[in-house]
This record gives sequence, structure tokens and C-alpha cells, in this order.
Amino acid sequence: MGQLLLSVKNVTKTFGTLNALEDFSIDIEKGAVIGLVGSNGAGKTTLLRLLCGLYRPNLGNVVFVKDGNEKNIDKFREAVGVLPESTGLYHRLTAWENIRYHSRLHGVPDSISWERTLRFSKALSMSDDLMRHTRGFSRGMRQKTALLRALAHGPEILLLDEPTAGLDVTSARLVRKLVHQLKEEGGTVIYSTHNLSEAEKVCDRIIILHNGQLRFDGSNEDLLLETETKSLEDAYVKLTSDDARIKEKEETEGWFAKKWRHLFTRKINYTATMEDE
Amino acid sequence: MSLKKRFKIIFTISNKELIDYVRDWRTLLAVVLVPLLMFPTIFFVLPIVMQSELDERQSLNLEVLIETNQNSSEFEFLTIEFSDNLLNYSIIDLNTDVEFNDTSIIMKDIKNSKISSVLRLSYDLNSSIWNYYIIYDSTQESSGEAYLRISNALSKWEDNLTSERINDAGLNEEAILNPLQPEESIQGDIATAAEQAGFVFSFIIPLFVSIWTATSGVQPSIDITAGERERGTLESLLCAPCSRLELLLGKWLAVTCIVAVSIILQLAGLVFAISFIMSGNLLQPPELSIFSILLFLLAVSVFGIMVVALEMALAMRSRSVKEAGSILGPMMLFFFLPAIFAQFINLESIELFWFAVPAVNVLLAMRELLQNEIYFIHVFVWVFSSLIYAAAASWYASRQFLREDLVESLS
Repeated sequence: MGQLLLSVKNVTKTFGTLNALEDFSIDIEKGAVIGLVGSNGAGKTTLLRLLCGLYRPNLGNVVFVKDGNEKNIDKFREAVGVLPESTGLYHRLTAWENIRYHSRLHGVPDSISWERTLRFSKALSMSDDLMRHTRGFSRGMRQKTALLRALAHGPEILLLDEPTAGLDVTSARLVRKLVHQLKEEGGTVIYSTHNLSEAEKVCDRIIILHNGQLRFDGSNEDLLLETETKSLEDAYVKLTSDDARIKEKEETEGWFAKKWRHLFTRKINYTATMEDE
Repeated sequence: MSLKKRFKIIFTISNKELIDYVRDWRTLLAVVLVPLLMFPTIFFVLPIVMQSELDERQSLNLEVLIETNQNSSEFEFLTIEFSDNLLNYSIIDLNTDVEFNDTSIIMKDIKNSKISSVLRLSYDLNSSIWNYYIIYDSTQESSGEAYLRISNALSKWEDNLTSERINDAGLNEEAILNPLQPEESIQGDIATAAEQAGFVFSFIIPLFVSIWTATSGVQPSIDITAGERERGTLESLLCAPCSRLELLLGKWLAVTCIVAVSIILQLAGLVFAISFIMSGNLLQPPELSIFSILLFLLAVSVFGIMVVALEMALAMRSRSVKEAGSILGPMMLFFFLPAIFAQFINLESIELFWFAVPAVNVLLAMRELLQNEIYFIHVFVWVFSSLIYAAAASWYASRQFLREDLVESLS
């Protein structure tokens, strides 16, 4: 087990009446590549935004551990590189100017960020496009530029939100290859995706989120073992189906809650039957 | 984080915003060309266009009708004036069955531009007075022009008739007509030309500066707040290790620079227009003390701080550029109305509270300063109140930057 880097403790995040995350807890160790898997609206982006300090939890807290000491999550922003869902590039700036801007905000000298950018841009086959304005960039090039921007200041942890979404096969492969390279160099990556096979290829630990709840946290092998399935897809379906959810709820809820739910379900069924007739 | 580092972050943000903004050609048009050329255009092109339009109108030959109960030899002077002023006239007998001021019969011909105007002229033998009535259409340029030329000709004829009658009576014409005469045509105004210019400019410059400050800040404010939000660039920026206050200050500095450049160029255009185009004509540059100039710049600055902070706060509240535009557009009225209102407030014996009214205070201060008048109690009140308003607007703006929903609420 690696050194603890980030700890999410019993976090609940709500938007109005909607629970985007519910009593969610995970620990993230240094050097891990973690796949955050879930369907649209599962709470992946909310979790990533909580980690970046863009959202504040309603309950619980997120703690960043540096040199064995717990730090406020605001300190975490100095150590993190983020690839958000929307690439967020300034189209009147060149790729390098976009990258340099963020590196400067991290307090990294231009020479160092340029060196890192060159190194990673070679891995992503983007060296020739660094001085081009991003206005004319394809989706893939924008994604790769945003990835370079996240890497240029030398982050301790990388948060990638759907990094291969909308990319062609070659570009997606380059991104996965880069994540492997980072892993070999001891980097920590949280890789959000709704694609299980991708998570399987890239990550050594999978966290499955469904309707704001943690459904699974462990290795690929553990996932198959726990769900008694032969493929990750089957395992995911089993974990996130409504039956599984009800079963889990029944196991955990108290006597009064159980009675109340039965009464409520019966009422819905009755209403539905009446409408059908 | 050290103060130096904080400033570095603020300058990094504002520098990037400026580069990003300047690279748009529309910006150069809106921030550089329009303000620079506005006053020279108003002072130089507008008079030329107006003069050429006037010349064109004055060279028109206009058809007019004279209805009279007298022989044309009785008003020969008038007909000569008509001819000299390009009025082609026809004379018909006055219809005594129609009321003198009845316009209904002739109205159709004027409306159809068949004739430009009608002059009804009748002479009363008992009183020796000529009665006249001009029928014209003020909504038609040619008819309006005919009315002016007829009025001028009548005026000259009246002067001529008056002189004739005085001379016929054996009286001294000069003594009768001009019993009071000024020593010189220009009276003893003790105000210098520069002071007069300052007085005139105290009505023009604050109005333009305030309106321009408000309008030139709108587009960049929207672009770097709601625009960033809409384009999705804000999320990655908020993930950077800088506080929301640093972010606000960086962006605010960029917008303020844009507004300042715009206003400086506008004032440069004004100075150029006055110094070169208008020199020796109507106005001279006002004479201002260094202290007045510095206070004037302070007034513009605090007004700018308040306006830009408010615009950025409201733009930040908006979810899209369109929404921000629809909020900030009508909000301009809150700056335009005080700007117009402040023009009507009498600066002499002004009540002190006016210098504490938001927006109005700065405009009144600018008016006073352009007249090179400095009253320290006024300065104290407008500086103090303006700083409070600017601080309140900045605080409100910083609150908007702390909102969680700056990034979409859910994936």
C-alpha cells in the first residue's frame, strides 16, 4: 500500500433536492492509477470538482496529505493537474500560450514548463502544433493540448475527466499510453470514464459510482470475484441495476424504513395499475 | 503566499486577458479606432456635412405663390428680394370669400410639392398696415426653406418700409430705430477664452466620459466572465492555485486597462479636435491646474473602478453571454440617466449631498474640475463616497466569484 495522498471522508454533496454524492469515502494513495467509472450523472464530475475545491461538500471533508501532514484541500490545487470535461482552451491563444498561462499560475518558470511540454507533446505527437492558435484545432488536438496544460507544471496528481471522449482511436491510444508512462514514473492519476474496457486497460484500481453512491472500490480481479461475473461489463450491470440497489437497501435499512418503503411501493403499483386500466 | 507572488498571479491573469482581448480585431475597432476618431469626426466631418447640406438647400429654386389684393408695384421691394433668394413667385388675386388664415384650399398643392409655400398679403388703407400670412408645411424641407426665405424677405421689406416712413415724416431714422447702442458688439465679459471653454467642456466631457466608461467596459466584462463560463474555460482556471479574489483582481485590472485606454484615446481625440480642427474658431483648450487634472483623473478612475466591478459582477452572475448582454444593456441607463441629470444641476450654491449621490457625484466633480474650481469639502465628499461605492461594487463582484455554480452544477 502506497503513501496516502488524498482522503475523501463521508462526503455528501447535494444540489437542491438531488444527492450528487452520498456519504462517499475513498482513500487515494500515491502512484495509483484509479478508474472512476459510472454512467452519466453518476457523480464522477462532481467528485472531481470536489477534489479540486470547485465544490464544497455539504457533509464530510476532503483532505490532502502532504509530507505526512493533512492539508486543506485548497493546498491540493497547487499539486493537481486537471483535464476538465470541457477542454477550456482560449482559442485566441496558441497551444503553448494556453499551457504557459496555467503553468505561470502554478508558479512554474517558463523554461521548466516548456521542457515538460516538449517531452509530453512528443508522446502525444503534438510538438509541431504547439505554436498554432487553438481556434482551428480538432477535438482531439484540443484534448491533447488540455492534457499537456495539466501536465506542464509537474503535478503530483492528475485528474482526468473523460480524457478520451470524442477522440479517434489513435489519439485515444496515445492518451492511454501517456497515462501508462506517468504510472511508470510514479505519478498518481484519477481517470474518470464511463467506458469499462478503457478503465480496465489503464487503471489498477476501479471505483464504480452509481447515483452518487460508491458501488465498488477495488482491483479488476476483485470486481469479478465480488460480483461472481466473467466480464467487467456484467459486473458493472450487476452492481448498478435497480435490483442490486434495492437488495442493498433492504439489507441496510431499518424496520420502520422497510415498512414505509413497502407501503409507498404498493401505492405506486396501485396507481400505475389504475392508469393502465 | 507572499504578496509578491499574489501580485505576480494577478498580473499573469490580467496580462493573458489583455492579450486574448487585443487579438480580436473587433476590439481594436471598439477600443482604439472608435474613441480616437469620435471627436475629430464630430468636430470636423459633421460641420462639413451640415454645411454642404445647407448649401444644397439654399441653392434650391422654390415655387411660391403670392395672394394679394394689391398691385405688384406696391411691393416691388419684396418681389426683388424673392428673386434674389431663388423664390420663383406667381401672383394671384386674394380670394376675399376665403378667411385670411384658411389653409384648406391651398394645403393639397403644398402637400404634393406643387408649390413650396403661399404668402397672403393684404393692405389695409385705413391703418396703412400690410397684413401677411405664410402657409407652409414644416415637415417638408423645401417648404420649411421657403418659409425661412419668405420670412427674411418680409423682414427686410419691413425695415425698408420703416425707414421710408420715418424719412417721409422728417424724423431722424437712427435716433428712432436705435435709441440704445452698445459701445462694442462684444460686451465686457471678464471670463477668459480658456474659462469659457472650460465652462462649455464641463457639460460635454463628463457626459461623454461617463457614457464611454460604462459602454466600453461592457463587452470585455462579459467576455472574460460570462464568456469564459460559456466557453468552458472558467473551470480549468478555477482549478488553478489562485484565490477567487486574485482571479477577480486580475480580470478587473484587464477590463480597467481596456476602459482606461479607450477613455485616454477618446480624450486625445478631443484634445486634437480642439487644438487643431477648432483652433481659432469657437473653443480653446481649457486652462486647468495640475491639481485639477490629477483630481479629474482620480474621479474618472474611481468611477471606472465602480462601473467595471459592477459590470463584472452582473456578468458573472449570468450563465451565458446572451443573458449577460440582456442584463447589462438596460443597466446602462443607471449610468446614462445620472450623466444627463448631472448636466442640469446648478454648480453655484450646490447642496453638499449631491457630491455623495452615486455616479452623479463624480460627474459633478468632473464639471467643477473642468472649470478649474476646487472646493476641498466637495472633493472630500465625492472622493470618500466614491471610494465607498467602488469598494462596495468590488466586494459584490468578489462575492460573485465565490459562487459554486460558476461551473455547471452537475456533469
